[in-house]
Amino acid sequence: MKLNLTVQPRFRLNFSPLVWVLLTLMGIAFVVAMMRYAFGIGVISDLSYSYPWGFWISFDLFTGVAISSGGFLMAGTVYILRIKEFEPLLRPSVLTAFLGYIMVAIALLVDLGQPLRIWYMMIHWNHTSVLLEIGICVMSYLTVLAIEFAPVVLERFPKVHKVAHLIHKFIMPFVIFGVVLSTLHQSSLGSLLLIQPSKLHPLWWTPILPIMFFASAISIGLAMIILESSLSSRYFQRGLETHLLAKLAKAIPVALVIYGLLKFGELAVAGDFGYLFTSGTMSILFWAEILIGVITPIIWLSIKKNRESANGLLTGAIIVLGGMILNRFNVSWFAVKHPDPLFYMPTFMSNVKYFPTLPEVAVSLGIFAAGILAFGLAAKYLPVFEAEHEAEEVHQSLHGLQPIRASADD
Amino acid sequence: MTVIKHHAYLFDATRCIDCRACMVACSVENNIDMDKTRIWVAGLGVTGEYPELQRGTMVYHCMHCDHPDCMSACPVGAYTKAEDGPVTYNPDLCIGCRYCMNACPFGVPHFDYDKGIIEGAFIDKCTFCPQRIYNGQEPACVETCPTDALEYGDREELIAKAHARIAEHPTRYIDHVYGEFENGGTSYLILSHVPFSELGLPNLPETPVNEVSEKVMEMTIPFALGWGAVLTAVTTGVALYDNKKKAASKEKAETTK
Ligand code: SF4
Ligand code: SF4
Repeated sequence: MKLNLTVQPRFRLNFSPLVWVLLTLMGIAFVVAMMRYAFGIGVISDLSYSYPWGFWISFDLFTGVAISSGGFLMAGTVYILRIKEFEPLLRPSVLTAFLGYIMVAIALLVDLGQPLRIWYMMIHWNHTSVLLEIGICVMSYLTVLAIEFAPVVLERFPKVHKVAHLIHKFIMPFVIFGVVLSTLHQSSLGSLLLIQPSKLHPLWWTPILPIMFFASAISIGLAMIILESSLSSRYFQRGLETHLLAKLAKAIPVALVIYGLLKFGELAVAGDFGYLFTSGTMSILFWAEILIGVITPIIWLSIKKNRESANGLLTGAIIVLGGMILNRFNVSWFAVKHPDPLFYMPTFMSNVKYFPTLPEVAVSLGIFAAGILAFGLAAKYLPVFEAEHEAEEVHQSLHGLQPIRASADD
Repeated sequence: MTVIKHHAYLFDATRCIDCRACMVACSVENNIDMDKTRIWVAGLGVTGEYPELQRGTMVYHCMHCDHPDCMSACPVGAYTKAEDGPVTYNPDLCIGCRYCMNACPFGVPHFDYDKGIIEGAFIDKCTFCPQRIYNGQEPACVETCPTDALEYGDREELIAKAHARIAEHPTRYIDHVYGEFENGGTSYLILSHVPFSELGLPNLPETPVNEVSEKVMEMTIPFALGWGAVLTAVTTGVALYDNKKKAASKEKAETTK
């Protein structure tokens, strides 16, 4: 198989201003991370005895995992349900997920007190710990994503095409495993907070937190696919699969209605309606999240015109993501209440207010910048977006029964 | 001293005079810096309305819960709960994720924010002085307390003692022993003259806070297996249907040719 030249140097590695900005952000993050390794987390962050988790967890872990959910959604749609028309979206979403999880892993290496012991999670198991489940799922899912993405890399090298072929042949078990793992840890990020009934505000704490997290991860994943396709089509001047994105956009209101019903149904059952208007800032945050993340997008994306224009789609996706990311921040940070400093034990000698410091944010930004840069490079040098026309014969799926791609013969 | 089946503390807030000798004793006994103390004495200021003014102090350290949330949360199992009470932490396993700090409803575990990876940043918390209690001595804080605000003994006996003290001075105490049932029972029991919330203690149900998350964790494996089976079935079904359709359309194409 010849080298796919259409993928290659349409845009050259010229250090555009954007690349410089990204590289600078990465450099700053690197320096800050080195300081943290040398002198401790306290030197660069505002984390304290009463706020052991802060911006890193809310942004890198909670948001990072949530926005990577497009990968399993597309893998499930294309491979399991065999809705082949979504094929063009598969590789970009798997790539986003892969990079997303790598970013999560890197951020955790900064956040953990003993980063070199991260592999202890593989051998020392405390089966009651939700965090263990998340750790194991994320590690396994990273492997699955690497396998799902490997053919994209291998296709670039004619000599190893056989390997790509082999992976395609046995991809199904990995896809199923990946969907199971994703379901598990998307939801168990919610379970992570189940242990804080006395700290998390009742508007958010519910025994069905895992279900809420999974339900919202679906709209986040769909919105993220729209966002990343739209942005990359703008930046790389390639065509936009508007008709496909419109179909995804149609699914978002459905997912959001289910989410909203679950949310308010749960509040009704738990008898927490009283808090809706009486909890001051918490009520405002709650309504902000619901208005931005649920109600507005349901209306916006139910309008056909919005779904069919590139700008309408992008706007819709940004609204969904804004509201849902606010949800992740609320659950993991804003709504977690630590008791009054004066009366509370360890805190009388530590700072009980938490506000992320600049270096803390710089670490997250740097990791994010690296992710964007990696996405750009991959899109440039690998057949991520334009794989549709080639290599049909390697796409034998499920027992080699038939090509999975919508190939020319049907 | 009698044989102790379940080690426990009893703290009587009415007796504490805020001398902080226990903090010093703990630091000396366990060789830790004063600013990283495992025991805290918090003055709560003056409460109540004139002329019924009250002044309170509260002494806190790990409650040594019967169903420790720190232990339930720790991914690598760095915590152990001894049959006879103490909850201890093993730094050799800890990865420093600080989930235990989130999980503990009392905010007990502490973290070395000032240590880099070479020294290693670990969790620290009260150990119940195993080096002392298993050698027939009282924990350092208890031994030092000049007013017997902190006492040590068998949990059952201390609970009986606390209730007897309430019965003896019904006007002095709130009729409740904090820790008898809170969070599924703790080994640090508290008697108070002011509402417990004023001492900074969270209002916890009798079921341990880790109950829901442990239940969810139990369902994880069965759920994963079930979901995997469903997905496999769907995959096979869709593939078969797809192939049939394809064969049919091919046939049609051939016959129309
Ligand atoms: S008080 Fe906190 S640290 Fe101590 S045993 Fe209970 S949950 Fe663990
Ligand atoms: S910080 Fe250490 S002890 Fe605490 S939960 Fe994490 S691994 Fe366990």
